[in-house]
Amino acid sequence: MIEIRNLYKRYHNHHGSQWVLKDINLTIPSGVSVGLLGRNGAGKSTLLRLIGGMDSPDRGAIVRESRVSWPIGLAGGFQGSMTGRQNVKFVARIHGADEEIDKIVDEVEAFAEIGEAFDEPVKTYSSGMRSRLAFGLSLAFDFDVYLSDEATAVGDRAFKAKAKEAFKDRVGRASLIMVSHGEGVLREFCEAGIVLDRGQARWYDRIDDAINAYHEATDSPKTPPLKVPSSLTEAKQTLRQANRRFEQAKLAYQIASDDPARNDPDDRLRWQMEDARERMHEARRYVQEFQSAKAQSA
Amino acid sequence: MATLDLTRSDARGPARVSRSPWRVTRSVWFAMFMREAISRTMADRMGWFWMIFEPLAIIGVMVSVRGLFMSGRHIAGADYVAWMVVGLMGFTLFRENMMRSVGAVEANRGLFAYRQVKPIDPVLVRCFLEGMLKTLIFLLFIGVGSLLKFELIPDYPLGVVFDWLSLWALGWGFGLTLSVCADLVPEIAKVVRILQLPLLLLSGVIFPVLYVPHEYREYLLLNPIVHGLESIRLSFFDGYHTIGGISETYLWFWALGSISLGLLLHARFRDKLKAH
Repeated sequence: MIEIRNLYKRYHNHHGSQWVLKDINLTIPSGVSVGLLGRNGAGKSTLLRLIGGMDSPDRGAIVRESRVSWPIGLAGGFQGSMTGRQNVKFVARIHGADEEIDKIVDEVEAFAEIGEAFDEPVKTYSSGMRSRLAFGLSLAFDFDVYLSDEATAVGDRAFKAKAKEAFKDRVGRASLIMVSHGEGVLREFCEAGIVLDRGQARWYDRIDDAINAYHEATDSPKTPPLKVPSSLTEAKQTLRQANRRFEQAKLAYQIASDDPARNDPDDRLRWQMEDARERMHEARRYVQEFQSAKAQSA
Repeated sequence: MATLDLTRSDARGPARVSRSPWRVTRSVWFAMFMREAISRTMADRMGWFWMIFEPLAIIGVMVSVRGLFMSGRHIAGADYVAWMVVGLMGFTLFRENMMRSVGAVEANRGLFAYRQVKPIDPVLVRCFLEGMLKTLIFLLFIGVGSLLKFELIPDYPLGVVFDWLSLWALGWGFGLTLSVCADLVPEIAKVVRILQLPLLLLSGVIFPVLYVPHEYREYLLLNPIVHGLESIRLSFFDGYHTIGGISETYLWFWALGSISLGLLLHARFRDKLKAH
């Protein structure tokens, strides 16, 4: 079980610092695989790093009552100038494998199937080879919870199948917390889901619900994607339409925010307004493109 | 696929026998030591060669420079070559500890993915490794030098060992402190690199401190490295004569002070160093 209590996290930079994660309270039961969803920059990887203990929260606490792996992913975890074998040895030593070290190295070598490259520096690896090595390495240790940061996104079909097989072997003993944009992968591996947005996290018992909620939140039904206009007049028309839609969304949002009894934890109206605003900007760009093209040809 | 049973290695649960923090740290240090030792000595094709040839070349150049420009001046109570070897070795021990530490955190950033590894670990391991290597090379120089009839056998071996350890400790202190500072403010690394040469001159490695006029000696004596180098020379050469006011206690104030400061900085900025 992993318990997250009143978790706050932000990164300090030169222009102020906003909370990436704001007052997150979650309990991830043991044996339940969880998918993390959210837009780019919503804080998925940050949350994963916090759970893995790579980073520490600004406020709040994470209680890990199980053995949690490091976040398995493409970024970090390997020293580029060392060979795959040396990296594996290093990680095995950190985890206190004194006698089993040769066994672990052999296993990872066999699982990763990267051949001669195992004795080449990791910086020469392709992303597929890196993820093979990372996956094989993490499977050599008996963790309760594996953290995966898009690690399953790469690798060819055969390897994916193999990784899945290796993982299914451990169902019941181990679970997975994964960040992925691939819905298929999430549906396949996870039972529950967490949707992150604007620093808030919502827990869904079923991954399908989480995926739906994520969709609902990100693409609102009222603002369909823009048709690509083929002429200046068409572009102008699209812009007028987009303007109108934005006005509507803005009005709806303003009315709603004046309503004291409003109950909208997801702030959907606001998102719809932001989306409509983006569409409007997009339409404006089209118009400008056509205008500049016309000016050039004239 | 068989797996490593972690019940005795990384358990955090209450029901398991977990590794003690000290055991985890020891595993990390051992792993890092193996890694650093390999990359330091094997990664570079000529790693070993340069380690020995570099001080040799500096000594060769300095001895010939002295023959050209400073003929007639003597080191009171010591053979010039031996005097030079001892000073240079002592100085490089300090300098390498400091310089290797400065890049240590950055070079190992990829490994902070494992929560067992803290930013201070690579610094400590590098200082240890550097001290070991330098000691080995120093012993080699003493051995070969003696065979070549240079007066390189210390007159007070225990004193030499103590002074050598003092300089090492000073290197640890500066290494620990600067590794944090240089990572938080990258400009500091550059400044430190620039300051290396003036430091070499101000520490009396090449020119005997006795040549420094009386009125400037009190400023010279602010530099802890001078105390370390002159102490080790005094232990080496029975009849060696140097300026007054050389004190190992002063050096140890610096060493312990900077080690404490470095440890404090590492404790304070641990997360910042990791997250960078």
